Amino acid sequence: MPDVTPSPPSEPHVLDQPWRMWSSLAVFGVLLSGILLGVLVIPIVQGRSVGIDAYTAICRALGILPGSPAQPQPATPLPGMPVSQVAWTSDLLQILARADVRRGHAKVQEVCVACHGERGDSIGVEFPHLAGQSGAAIYKQLFDYRTGSRAHPMMTDVAKALDEAAIADVAAYYAGQPQRNPNPVTLAEAPPSIVQLVELGDPKRNIAPCASCHRAGAGGPIETPVLAEQRAEYIEQQLKLYASGERRNDVYARMRTIAAQLTDDEIRGLAFYYRAGFR
Amino acid sequence: MRNAERLCLAHFWVAFAAFLFACAIGTWQMWVRSPLGANVGTPGQYFMSVTAHGVSMAYVLTTFFIMGFGYFVAVTALDRALPGKLWAWAAYWVALLGVVLTVIPIATGQASVLFTFYPPLTASVWFYIGLVLVVAASWIWCVLMLIAMTEWKRENPGRPVPLAMFATVANAVMWLWTTVGVAVELIFQVIPAALGLVQTIDVGLARTLFSWTLHAIVYFWLIPAYIAFYTMAPRAAGGRLYSDTMGRLTFILFLIYSLPVGMHHLLMDPEHGNATKFIQVLLTAFVAVPTLLTIFTITASMEIAGRLRGGRGTFGWIAALPWERPMVLATGLSFVMLGFGGFGGIVNMGYGMNAMVHNTSWVTAHFHLIFGGSVVIMYFAIAYAIWPRLTGREYQSRAPLRLQLWLWFLGMMIMTLPWHWLGLQGQWRRVANFNYADPIIAAWGPWVIVSFAGGIILLASAVLFVGNLAALHRGPALGIVRPLYALAVHPPLRVPAALNGFGLWNVLVLVLMIAAYGYPIAQFLIDPSPGAIVHRVR
Amino acid sequence: MSQTHPEMHERRILHTELMWSFGVGIFVAASLSMILFTAFTISVNPPSNVERLDPKTLHLSGEFAEHNLGTTVGSDGSVTVRAIATQFMFLPRCIVVPANRRVTLRFASPDVIHGLLITGTNVNTMVVPGFVSQVHTEFTRAGDLLMPCHEYCGLGHSEMWATVQVMAQDEFKPGSDGRISCAQR
Repeated sequence: MPDVTPSPPSEPHVLDQPWRMWSSLAVFGVLLSGILLGVLVIPIVQGRSVGIDAYTAICRALGILPGSPAQPQPATPLPGMPVSQVAWTSDLLQILARADVRRGHAKVQEVCVACHGERGDSIGVEFPHLAGQSGAAIYKQLFDYRTGSRAHPMMTDVAKALDEAAIADVAAYYAGQPQRNPNPVTLAEAPPSIVQLVELGDPKRNIAPCASCHRAGAGGPIETPVLAEQRAEYIEQQLKLYASGERRNDVYARMRTIAAQLTDDEIRGLAFYYRAGFR
Repeated sequence: MRNAERLCLAHFWVAFAAFLFACAIGTWQMWVRSPLGANVGTPGQYFMSVTAHGVSMAYVLTTFFIMGFGYFVAVTALDRALPGKLWAWAAYWVALLGVVLTVIPIATGQASVLFTFYPPLTASVWFYIGLVLVVAASWIWCVLMLIAMTEWKRENPGRPVPLAMFATVANAVMWLWTTVGVAVELIFQVIPAALGLVQTIDVGLARTLFSWTLHAIVYFWLIPAYIAFYTMAPRAAGGRLYSDTMGRLTFILFLIYSLPVGMHHLLMDPEHGNATKFIQVLLTAFVAVPTLLTIFTITASMEIAGRLRGGRGTFGWIAALPWERPMVLATGLSFVMLGFGGFGGIVNMGYGMNAMVHNTSWVTAHFHLIFGGSVVIMYFAIAYAIWPRLTGREYQSRAPLRLQLWLWFLGMMIMTLPWHWLGLQGQWRRVANFNYADPIIAAWGPWVIVSFAGGIILLASAVLFVGNLAALHRGPALGIVRPLYALAVHPPLRVPAALNGFGLWNVLVLVLMIAAYGYPIAQFLIDPSPGAIVHRVR
Repeated sequence: MSQTHPEMHERRILHTELMWSFGVGIFVAASLSMILFTAFTISVNPPSNVERLDPKTLHLSGEFAEHNLGTTVGSDGSVTVRAIATQFMFLPRCIVVPANRRVTLRFASPDVIHGLLITGTNVNTMVVPGFVSQVHTEFTRAGDLLMPCHEYCGLGHSEMWATVQVMAQDEFKPGSDGRISCAQR
């Protein structure tokens, strides 16, 4: 039970004034000293020791100009050559989202069906299946063929004949086709070393689990292709092309780095693993 | 207790169920990342577990416990019925719905973005909506706390608000201020991205808004423990609170200095310059003050108790304290952990030293020790102290309670001390599998195993805690109800408005927040940084 | 209580609390003074470089195109390292730096939040898409160091790390274009 004392006489404001004044003074004092030190004193003193003028030092400390108030800023080098011209901007994603599947179907019947099939089940081992492939992945590869970031005797000309809208339509069409695994290879059980590579990767070799990008909902790069039910020969061929550096349109060498470290057995094992339809 | 028992128990049981679950999966995580669990657990499972553990401990255990405890204090410290009990129940159900909506995406692997959300990694929208509901429910709680205090003040003009309630309302006011950051981030940035309405997120702004919440939230968790220090421990020890005024000042200092310091969680980030980082570091130094004041005041209060019980000499009073009482034991153990954890906090604040430990196991060790250790052990003590009133039952024996508290303390020290050491070695955070073949990393292996052993002890303690509370529901009927709240040596007859309300402090908080966060946030609105494409994790 | 125990007088309590507060104030001032001292004498700062860069077009051209990554020695002798942190690796995977010379390291991310530290050094920074992270340091000992990604960046985070090869000054010989790569060991 709280202390039961008689109500005190009401003279509240006598006690309040000093509290209001002193606490406000204290807080303002702390704030002011922080601002003076952080915005003015520290940048100016640090800048002086390396020959940066006060104005620049303060702007850098506040983040208005790039660089540190205490260090000289390096020069920017000349522009470099890109490995892929595709940039995933909001606009591009809108284009993909609004692609016309029917126009894509028409274009496929005209251009792609001879090798990749009308439903995306390719006619031969040298042509990848496209049914159910990620629309973003198809878009990127066609665009890269078009700009020369990726080279292929037939695909380069095919892609050059398509405009951006057509590429988006074709990508959307194939992405919507169901996967039916027309020539399955059954793995009675996947070899444990391959499963480990897919699920756990190999920290020793810097290899992230394949599933950390190539599984639906993993949250990896936008252009990551679906590997499940893809032709084993195609996967093996592409991994080898990445490993040798002949295929270079993976942004920032993500696949080149990994492929270069895989053994031939692993490459073959992974190709068969995905061919069998594991996701 | 004016029929608020069921309301409090409902909140506590949700909190402790989440807590027990989180302890179990936390122990699993420690196994997976140790050399003993080398190829167990895929990254998908591990990071799902980390997300669940963080959400349960940081959002569910804490919010539900604090709400339940707040209702308890409002009824018992003010000795009046809780206003708006229907609203309180509504808030409970909204919060519980929120928990369900959040847990389902986590469990189905659609929300492995950790409890700190890492935009542009974007989870299922239900994950975020669930958390928004929990926060909204807590806002209802805040309003009810304010109303309870205001009504009491109207009925008791000129009298000082009992310290336990004053502190609870300080906590509520601070929570209202601090949740603005994460609410704005979720409502205006993350949820639109999760719904597919926008394709990019300004990550710098999102991190800054989250940092607004990130520091004061830990004080939101901590203040109930300090309420126990000030208003319950002295009584449990058989003494008096050394200074009621210092108690009020402590909670006020937490209110004003825990809010404008969030950027010290962004010291290594590229979206702010060192001027604004320095300002917030300077303010951070001041948030250490209330803790240091508390250590003195509570130690003095305990000394009073010790000497009243016949303790003599400079330190003789320590042995004379009634350590067999769980509240006293917990306070002592909490103070030991507070010493270590507080030291770690000072290191984190100095940005030169921060560069050595940022995102290493040192950080993990720090917050497990200070929150999981010093604060949660007081949550246990509070639960033990008030459970008899809530259930109308009595303990047969307090030995299992003390055992549980000791196990928690030992487990926490064994788990976190090696972690601090590993962090200094450079062991980094949030790793499902370490490459233990690397010689640098191999040297860490034995310490990771020691930490894991600490985690197992903690799990045992957690099970015992829930067991102790469950057993009390079937204990003998409660006889005498001992007084719960401590009296001050000099109970105040009247206090200035500054120590009895929050008008002045809200103004100062506003000034501080504008000064500390005004430009850092405005820079994103004046000159938006290029957005990053959303990466959907579902 | 106050009658029998003068140390329990209200004034006495206030006095001891004020003395303690004074001590706390000294502690706070000392902590801040240490920070200020290192700020003024050896320019210890948290990373301070607010520089915006579009993550979506990072790879197309400009400073962080693949061709430009790695270590470059400028005509004025300044050593600059440029690296990308992406899901789930750093590029280049091996970064070479000279010992006992000031080095500026610049990082960018084309996708999500990453972070990095270099073991045994004071290099520690977040890499936030939309910004360039820049840190300055001096490596004091030759040898190989570990540079892991220390911020959660997705399911492949655990496997993301790079090596930093610190070369003695006499070994560190850039080509005519100022570029130098890790030695094959």
